[in-house]
Amino acid sequence: MSLISVNADKQAAAPILDSPFSQKVERAVGEISKALLGKDHQIRLALCCLFSGGHLLIEDLPGMGKTTLSYALARAMGLEFNRIQFTSDLLPADILGISIFDQNSGQFSFHPGPIFSQLVMADEINRTTPKTQSALLEAMEERQVTVEGETRPLPEPFFVIATQNPVNLAGTYPLPESQLDRFLMRLRLGYPDQKAERELLEMNTERDKVGLVQQCLTTADVSQFRIQSAEVTASSALLDYVQRLVAFTRSKDDFSYGLSPRGSLAVMRAAKTWALMCGRDHAVPEDVQVILPAVVEHRLRGNSDEDGHSGASLLQRLLNEVDVIA
Amino acid sequence: MEVAYQIPRASLQWILLSVFLVIAPQSIYMPIWITLIAFSCLLWRYLIFSGRLNYPSRLMRVVIVTFTLLVSIAQMRSLGVGLESASSLLTLGFVFKLVEMREKRDIYVVMSLSFVMCMVAFLYSQSLLISLYVAACIVVIIATLIALNRSSLQADARSTGRMALRMALQALPLTIVLFLVFPRIAPLWAVPVQATGGTTGVTDEMTPGDLASLGRSSELAFRVQFENGPPPLHQDLYWRGLVLENFDGSTWMRRRYRSAYGTAAERGNFQFNWENRVLVQGEPLQYNVILEPTQQPWVYGLHLADPLNRNLFQSRNFEIYNNGLISKRFSYDLRSYANNQTDLVLLDSARARNTEIPQRGNERSIEFARELRGSVNTDRDFVYAVLAHFRDNPFYYTLNPELLRDNRIDDFLFNTREGFCEHFASTFAFLMRAAGVPTRVVVGYHGAEYNPYEDYMMVYQNNAHAWNEVWLEGEGWVRFDPTGAVSPERIELGVEAALQDDLAFMEQSLFAAVSGRFSFFNTLRLRLDALEYEWNRRVVSYDEEVQVELFERLFGEITEQKVLLLLVGLASLVMVAVGLSVVNIGPRRKLDPVTQLYQTLASELSRIGLARKTGEGPLDYRDRVVAARPELAELMHDFTALYVAINYKPPVQDEQLARKQVKVLKQRLNNLRAALSPLRGSRAQS
Repeated sequence: MSLISVNADKQAAAPILDSPFSQKVERAVGEISKALLGKDHQIRLALCCLFSGGHLLIEDLPGMGKTTLSYALARAMGLEFNRIQFTSDLLPADILGISIFDQNSGQFSFHPGPIFSQLVMADEINRTTPKTQSALLEAMEERQVTVEGETRPLPEPFFVIATQNPVNLAGTYPLPESQLDRFLMRLRLGYPDQKAERELLEMNTERDKVGLVQQCLTTADVSQFRIQSAEVTASSALLDYVQRLVAFTRSKDDFSYGLSPRGSLAVMRAAKTWALMCGRDHAVPEDVQVILPAVVEHRLRGNSDEDGHSGASLLQRLLNEVDVIA
Repeated sequence: MEVAYQIPRASLQWILLSVFLVIAPQSIYMPIWITLIAFSCLLWRYLIFSGRLNYPSRLMRVVIVTFTLLVSIAQMRSLGVGLESASSLLTLGFVFKLVEMREKRDIYVVMSLSFVMCMVAFLYSQSLLISLYVAACIVVIIATLIALNRSSLQADARSTGRMALRMALQALPLTIVLFLVFPRIAPLWAVPVQATGGTTGVTDEMTPGDLASLGRSSELAFRVQFENGPPPLHQDLYWRGLVLENFDGSTWMRRRYRSAYGTAAERGNFQFNWENRVLVQGEPLQYNVILEPTQQPWVYGLHLADPLNRNLFQSRNFEIYNNGLISKRFSYDLRSYANNQTDLVLLDSARARNTEIPQRGNERSIEFARELRGSVNTDRDFVYAVLAHFRDNPFYYTLNPELLRDNRIDDFLFNTREGFCEHFASTFAFLMRAAGVPTRVVVGYHGAEYNPYEDYMMVYQNNAHAWNEVWLEGEGWVRFDPTGAVSPERIELGVEAALQDDLAFMEQSLFAAVSGRFSFFNTLRLRLDALEYEWNRRVVSYDEEVQVELFERLFGEITEQKVLLLLVGLASLVMVAVGLSVVNIGPRRKLDPVTQLYQTLASELSRIGLARKTGEGPLDYRDRVVAARPELAELMHDFTALYVAINYKPPVQDEQLARKQVKVLKQRLNNLRAALSPLRGSRAQS
């Protein structure tokens, strides 16, 4: 068994119809894939996550292109971004900011940390201590930061793209469930296929590819996606299906705990956005199934699961055993 | 230390309830102290459960077993080996087992015994009421078994009861079939049934003046339904039982035959050609009688009765006997000729028997009779003179007469002058015989109550009666009823009318009295009895004979093959029905029509090897089907598009349009089906 399994992908998603939204997505995918070859589906999912207003966790072995994807996303969307490299000695103040006494004015002035940015890249998030990790908690969920008793709003939009190494590698502090739950999606990139890898080798470059990515989306586009995805119809038949999925995770003994309501909301939000990205005004079960691995895998844990990697097999059961039509 | 098995709380309540229910009917028949022991054992069990008492110790158990053994021996000695002693032994064992039950296995023993106890209840009575009661008991026992096997979380008493009821109802068809077709095999052994009251009905001995009370029991004797035409008038309803010919001065007795009653040999003894001794006219009256158990061999019918049943035969005095004691409810058919003359020629032996009186005693009466006979010309006139004597002198009809002393006939005729039918019949016969007129006493019942709800008559024990038959030259045996001369109401309206002012009688038959006066109760009583009658006629009296009759009517002549075929067929039918109902037991959600259509498509496609997987969405499924069967692409796309539109697109507000959508979907499904049928064929070939 490989250490990391790629997301149980459903590449053959529902057909993509022509619409302003799907065109924009096509363009963005085109741009980003210049930097990350052969990973169209993952790029699409990452876009879906960001368009849904959720935070993204990218998990894979070192050197698989996690950081590349983050950079490329930031560039393509034209967001103001900061990168925080998480290390074991990183402190919360290093992320949030600090008040410094200004000798000129004789007052304390707040120096915002790198979190005050539209897109925050938390690189190797599980290399830092839980104390620092939890500094991200409020920021991610409330989209505001409280430093020294003063609450400051974060810019709009606000995304966190975190990358992490698999938890069983040396020198990692696994993210607690509470924090994992705050990421809308967890992506795994996996090895590139042969063709993409050949292309990569032929290009013979490392980081420079990211420079090729042009901005093709605006902040306005992103918020447009968010507003429109809320309008996507989720029929009662679809809601039934989602409820069946959630009930399955809660009732079967193999799951050590079921999906939280935040989890089921996340499934709905992502499915609607996916439908919108495909140019439809209604979500179908296939939309749910496409985003399901990325959305729920990190929220599930098997009963006899030591390292939090049974999500994938549990997810397969969800996809196979829960009836779409009933 | 081993972990003690805990009887689940919920199931223990059920156990106590079912034990109580199955003991209750027995307690009527058992000695009161056994009932007390039984109920105190129930209490004991409850106290063990609530922790206030302990299980019986080893010593205690030895004592109990010894006690039970002694009791059963004592019972056998006092009551004889019979139903009552056996059932009280069973009951004791049952309740003691209840007290000491600890393991699950013990509970199963107790519950199995409960079923046996239910069957024992049937040995005492098979009435509709007890049958319904036992059915309820069985439901409770089933519920107990269910409760025993449910976890404490599921142990909701109501759902357990519902489940038990459902199981019992599912068993009902099989029960009915088994009831109808199961071979009625004669029992290999028989329980000597001893009803508490011993024999009932009229006895074969009659001692007027001995018993100071009679005819007060309002228990049912038998029910009669006339099958052709209306029943006779009330005053003609003389249900003839026994003929008493021998008189020893105080007691009238039946003529004893050499062989004992109730044997097959007796039947041969009674065989005679009765047509030679009988002249009948007119159409016979045909009717069915259901006799309550009497523990006696004779049965009752209107004179002159010709039995239609195999096991019934007739004596020389035209009494009707069954081949064996009547120990359970007995249904028989009779044909009676109201217009009859019997024994126009009286044999000398019979004349001698019927004119015989004791040599000594009652001289005053003998003298009185001879005197009276001398004053009239014919025997018939003499009969009238005696009846007139009863009527014109202060004779009273009462059920509580004074006791008679020494010369009983004299004492009655000249002294007390009060009595009931026995006194009058006995005195009348004595007077007749004293004057040389052949006369005999007949005992049986007179009158009946008509039940209009099922069109039948009910004859009670208080309808018991005695009357006379006098042999007259040229007429044969003629019936006379001296009681009628004294109390015409008794004959015309029945015993209750005759004794309306008799407080003692009315007190004792309180229910009858109440019911007689309030029409509501009367109606209720008659309706209940009508139900009971139907139950007896259709269920209890369903025996081998009726079974064979039913089969012959349904399937013609019975052969072994036919019976086997029928049994196997019925059994499999029932099993299939039960199996189907079991399959359907799970909760079945009603699918909406659109989903149903989609499922139909999926099942059609599964026949060409393209079954939908459980977790497969409609679009994925379509793509897979199209990939496998490109020729279906267009139809599949059309159907799926509409299905997705109906199911996942914003719902159409216009209801008419929605209906139309479903219609179109159905049409597309049919198109698909049409395209599928040739594919199925080709697949079969390949």
